[in-house]
Amino acid sequence: MDKKKICMVGDFSVGKTSLTQKFVNNVFSEKYLTTIGVKIDTVEVESTKLIIWDVAGRDSLSPINASYLVGAAGVILVADGTRESTVSGLLDIWAVVEKRIGSVPCVVALNKCDLPDWHVSESNLDEFASRDWSVFQTSAKKGHDVETLFHTLVAKI
Amino acid sequence: MNQLDELRDIIVGDSAQQLNELAERIEDVEKRTKDVAEVLSPAIDQQGDKLANSLQKPVSIGLKRAIRSEPKEYAEILYPVMAPSIRRAIAQAISSMMVTINRTIESATTVQGLSLRYQSLRTGIPYAELALRRSLLYRVEHVYLIHRETGMAIESLHSEGTEAPDSDAVSAMFSAIQSFVQDSFSSDESSLLSGFKVGEQNVWVANGPNSMLACVIRGDAPESLKTELYNTLDLIRTQYGNSLVDFEGDVAPFSGIDLYLQPLLQSELKESESPRSPDSKKTMPLGSAIFMALLVLGGIFFLAKWMMGKSDIATVEHFLRDTPGVAATDIYWSNGKLRVKGLKDPDAVIPYETLESYGIEQELLVFNMIPFRSLEVDMEMQRFRNELDLPTGVELLVQDGEIQLRGRAPLTWLNSKGSRLRQLAADRRLSVKPLAATRSSVSTLLKTSLPYDAVKDLRLSHVQDKVQTTVVISGSTDLPTLTLLRSLFAANDWVDVTAIPKGAQ
Repeated sequence: MDKKKICMVGDFSVGKTSLTQKFVNNVFSEKYLTTIGVKIDTVEVESTKLIIWDVAGRDSLSPINASYLVGAAGVILVADGTRESTVSGLLDIWAVVEKRIGSVPCVVALNKCDLPDWHVSESNLDEFASRDWSVFQTSAKKGHDVETLFHTLVAKI
Repeated sequence: MNQLDELRDIIVGDSAQQLNELAERIEDVEKRTKDVAEVLSPAIDQQGDKLANSLQKPVSIGLKRAIRSEPKEYAEILYPVMAPSIRRAIAQAISSMMVTINRTIESATTVQGLSLRYQSLRTGIPYAELALRRSLLYRVEHVYLIHRETGMAIESLHSEGTEAPDSDAVSAMFSAIQSFVQDSFSSDESSLLSGFKVGEQNVWVANGPNSMLACVIRGDAPESLKTELYNTLDLIRTQYGNSLVDFEGDVAPFSGIDLYLQPLLQSELKESESPRSPDSKKTMPLGSAIFMALLVLGGIFFLAKWMMGKSDIATVEHFLRDTPGVAATDIYWSNGKLRVKGLKDPDAVIPYETLESYGIEQELLVFNMIPFRSLEVDMEMQRFRNELDLPTGVELLVQDGEIQLRGRAPLTWLNSKGSRLRQLAADRRLSVKPLAATRSSVSTLLKTSLPYDAVKDLRLSHVQDKVQTTVVISGSTDLPTLTLLRSLFAANDWVDVTAIPKGAQ
């Protein structure tokens, strides 16, 4: 079976961990995220085993740890659809990713689509489209489009 | 040549001959074979992989058929290759089994074993696991070969009985920890985490350019294991260098890599139980121990049997020695029988019942005895008792080593046995000195043989001289009675007549 490393990246508290929880074999507890800044999960998608690196979210004090991105075959950029700053911040995060590992296949999850206050600007969506990124409105809570998100990335890889 | 041929000649010219030659070449199998042979080798070189794929199935079928039709020949060809491996595998399996049996026997029969059983019940950890932990000096429980860049597991092995976690997740976590430590504590990229300790477990990491080898070890492993880790990593780099560089998640090119990692799953037991232990000379392998034990047991068995055999001889000897009329000169085992040689009085009685009570059956004994007449006191006394039919009042006894007949016997009995007793006395086999006739028996004889008036003045008394005791008839009677009396006891040793005729005083 083919194996691929993918990374979940995004700002703090956008729901990266919740998205993966819906979909994966839990091996380690979430405390790893706060201790060493990453949590590993695995899941089999079609005939590929995904090793998902759930990288701790970026906040104002600490950027994402780019070392954890090395060797990733693809990236899932996660933003909170109810917080515009996290959506526009994806471009900054992508810049870090691209600098470290190059332009790897990428999908975007605009999470928390089950909540009413949706703030995603058209300009951001256009920007994502121009980069040929597939964008999904996901809900970790309701499981909306979570599987599609991962399947799409696997197809791109 | 007709017109058509001429026309053909004009149009085709020399080519016609070439065509003919070509046709001939195609039809000629021999030539065609030669042509194919010429191009076959370069063609194979050119189409290496493709040809291998095409040939895989027919070669496989052909090989199977060939092996089926001539299994013996193939077995012989493969023997030199397979035999050492099989031998090694069997030896390893037996050795490991012996260690396990050894340990199980030891742990099951000691206080420590019972304590472990209790601990196992209390904690729910399997007994075997607890026993192993206690007896282990160290054991490499997991080995991960990790691709450095992606953190993915290329191969992972786990020792028997350990729970195998998701090797990809664990490998990724190792890799993450590596990155985390590097980022947090060192600015130098070449400074890498080489190990850490978690409770009873140590994780040792050997870092290579494209891969790292992580071993999860329970207990304290020797430093030499680190060298082994790096040697293994070097070997892997030599064999799979390109695959490591190109690795993107496909582990297929790494088939057979487990053979390099397998030797790392080693363990060493405390008290030099392990065959790998350098002190293994001090401990005796179970096989030898069993052999020695059997040897000792066998020795004890044969010694016991020999001693029992000896003891049987001694028993027989003892009882025969105490048996009157038997003189055993030789007692020995032969063909499962206890043979006794010597002398035996025909009247002697072998004490079979006594011997049986000591476990020596009558059937076991074979007597090769020369008959003889024993003069042993017991034997003589037994014989006398049988022969003489002693009356009441007479006893047979031994006085100062001499057999005596003592007491008062009826005159009739004395008369019937008289000659025999005299003979025995003459042979000094028996003393009859204390033996005498009862006065009543003499008196009865007198009364029945003579008129009352004639005997009423006679007296009877016992008189002992050097030879014997006699009943003396004294007193006086008339002469005819006296003559009759004297004639009556003339040949009788037991009665003496000292009476005198009346009127003679």
